[in-house]
Amino acid sequence: MRHGFPGSILIAVLVSVSAATAAAQTSAIPRAPDGRPNLQGIWQVLVPAAWEIQDHSPRLGVPGGQGVVEGNDLPYQPWALKRKQENLANRATADPESKGYLPGVPRIMYMPFPFQIFQTPTHLAMTFEYAQGVRLVYTNGTPHPKGPIQWWLGDSRGKWDGDTLVVDVVHFTDQTWLDRAGNFHSEALHLVERYTMTGPDHINYEATIEDSKVFTRPWKMSMVLYRRKEANIRLLDYVPGLLMEEEIGERERRKTN
Amino acid sequence: MNPRVVITVCALAVLAVALRVVAQTPERPPIIAGCPTENLAWHTCALQKARSFSPPRTPSGKPDFQGYWRSRLTQSFSVEGVAEDHPFVKDPAQRWDVGASEIVEPPDRKIPYQPAAARIGREGTNFREYVDPRTTCSTAGVPRLALQDPSQILQPPTDDHVLWLHEDHHQFRVIAMDQRPPVGREVTTWNGLSRGRWDGNVLVIDTANFNGYTWIDDSGNFYTNNARVTERLTMVDPNTIHYEATIEDPTVYTRPWKVAWALIRDTTPGGYELFEEACREGDRDLPIVRDLGFKFYFGSPWR
Repeated sequence: MRHGFPGSILIAVLVSVSAATAAAQTSAIPRAPDGRPNLQGIWQVLVPAAWEIQDHSPRLGVPGGQGVVEGNDLPYQPWALKRKQENLANRATADPESKGYLPGVPRIMYMPFPFQIFQTPTHLAMTFEYAQGVRLVYTNGTPHPKGPIQWWLGDSRGKWDGDTLVVDVVHFTDQTWLDRAGNFHSEALHLVERYTMTGPDHINYEATIEDSKVFTRPWKMSMVLYRRKEANIRLLDYVPGLLMEEEIGERERRKTN
Repeated sequence: MNPRVVITVCALAVLAVALRVVAQTPERPPIIAGCPTENLAWHTCALQKARSFSPPRTPSGKPDFQGYWRSRLTQSFSVEGVAEDHPFVKDPAQRWDVGASEIVEPPDRKIPYQPAAARIGREGTNFREYVDPRTTCSTAGVPRLALQDPSQILQPPTDDHVLWLHEDHHQFRVIAMDQRPPVGREVTTWNGLSRGRWDGNVLVIDTANFNGYTWIDDSGNFYTNNARVTERLTMVDPNTIHYEATIEDPTVYTRPWKVAWALIRDTTPGGYELFEEACREGDRDLPIVRDLGFKFYFGSPWR
């Protein structure tokens, strides 16, 4: 008689063990010492919402994409729809991105650059490779400061709803857009974001956009944030305004030398 | 009108809109944390005092530097100090403040420039011909950021990073505490890439991968993309950090040199929060300086 398990049983055991391990790995989310989901890490979207948040076909230099807007339609007020179309026509110079400005929220969340999250029991900080943007989300129970305040990335206050971080954002400017297709908002924008980890390397990001000056009703967008897992990945800087000036500086340097 | 005054006036206008008064040269009380406040005397005394101080700790037992900080023993004009008889002190167009050298090594308290580099820095080519990079809304760089007020330090309880946030032009420094390897030197950034470690109670930050596009002060003192900066943050008492930075750059200096100053905790009653200081988005002074013929820097004089 041979010793040990028959081969077929051994294989079956190994397969079931590895299947169980894989399931545990995809469902378990990392936790901070205080028991909250640990959102820390470097994240980036893959969906091409930076070009256009709605469904769109590819154009040269623009990847096609299924939109991130729930139901795809944006409930613009009539004047605002006209303005959106003007924005689209004039986007080469009218888009605040073309000036190297901070892109606003939620747009900065889906720029095609990584950002990093840091989390303490009282703060959640998001630092962005794009334009050196910083969002500080206070999770210490404090309210928004009294306005009027106009900040390019707004004022963010968060609280946990079970394992979902809910962030309320107000105090915006009317100078930022939602994408390169001219979709926009006013300074009355009120954003409610929900960050839910669906596994160790994925965050479901959902934002409800409310702006009574521009839209007829609140609407939602959602997308997945993917963890950047390259070995020794670090957040660098991509500061568009300075890169534009560097080109001018380079021309000046060639003229001088 | 002198360009430097234009910069100041416009900066004040922009900041007035931003609802916050510009930080002038911070006051220099005679004593901070029980030590005299001439930089070298303070440096020696504060480090001595820190030896017998046990800092507050995070739940995991690391020294806790979290909070809001403002610099002292600093002025923005020159890390080499501004003497009483410096012509810009009496010049109403410049209005430089007198201040001690922030340099504590070498003993002559001057930047140990190689001869060609000394003509670029120290009110040389940089100062005469180029826009101060900070005026373009870039970062102040390292260590100049550490004297911009206010700043905030966050230490996630996972102990893998320290985040140093600066209100100035919404700058931030990610300090990786997880013993990761350095990044290839062709990858350059404005604030450099920082790796940190604990040396007893001292937070040591080693930074390289600079693009060399920042200045060290208003006088145009500088380093190149070959620089390495080692900072040490030591808590002296619950509300005071001894800050020092050793700057090495064999391309332009003859030896490493060191600055030191104090960071004082902001204890505003009712708490304090950083504002968003959008700069480029409200920037109005750069075109004026450019019209006066000042060129963009981007390391031109040394590249």
